[in-house]
Amino acid sequence: MLVLTRKLHQSIVIGDGIEVVVLEVRGEQVRIGIKAPKNVAVHRKEIYEQIQEENRSASEVRPEDIPG
Amino acid sequence: MNLTKENTISDTRFGTITYEPDDILTFPQGLVGFPEEKQFLLVSTKQASSFRWLQSLKHPELAFLVANPAEFVSGYSPVSEAKIGDVLLTTVNIPPGRPKEMTLNLAGPICIDLVSRTGKQIVLDNEAYTTRYRVFATASSESGDVAA
Repeated sequence: MLVLTRKLHQSIVIGDGIEVVVLEVRGEQVRIGIKAPKNVAVHRKEIYEQIQEENRSASEVRPEDIPG
Repeated sequence: MNLTKENTISDTRFGTITYEPDDILTFPQGLVGFPEEKQFLLVSTKQASSFRWLQSLKHPELAFLVANPAEFVSGYSPVSEAKIGDVLLTTVNIPPGRPKEMTLNLAGPICIDLVSRTGKQIVLDNEAYTTRYRVFATASSESGDVAA
């Protein structure tokens, strides 16, 4: 993993169209701004992992448990 | 003999499924966590059921239980760019043997454009939507036994 040190309001450019900027640092929380093309999906990792887990669960449902 | 070119997929959880090329739904990005699953069939195993299966064409043993969230949740229209004729589905989770604990994933709806027959799963990074929306009242609030 590439590791870079940035100060407040400094940014990182990824490829041609993506910019990540440090907007605010307050205690343990960091606010990050992301500029990216519309076709690049940006999500918090835990949301992505939760949806992945729900997808896996939906593939493991037993047909006999379905109501109706 | 009918002239329609038919294909079959065998060894699914529902046996052998016969389909036509036009039945295939293409998900260019796959599903979240399943990026290699790009082609599906939408399969009903019972008539008039609220539930269907998104059956992978690549892996016969893989199918995701889905439902139309409008049948269970009012006012859920999370996808602003959805067009008329698009189909919105959510995955359904039912713990084994506990159907009353069924949940819908409202944070990851699946949007299908029936004209182009392409679909995608949308990640809603928004605390307003839960990945485990409880469809039936919990045991404690069920005691009133009032039909909805």
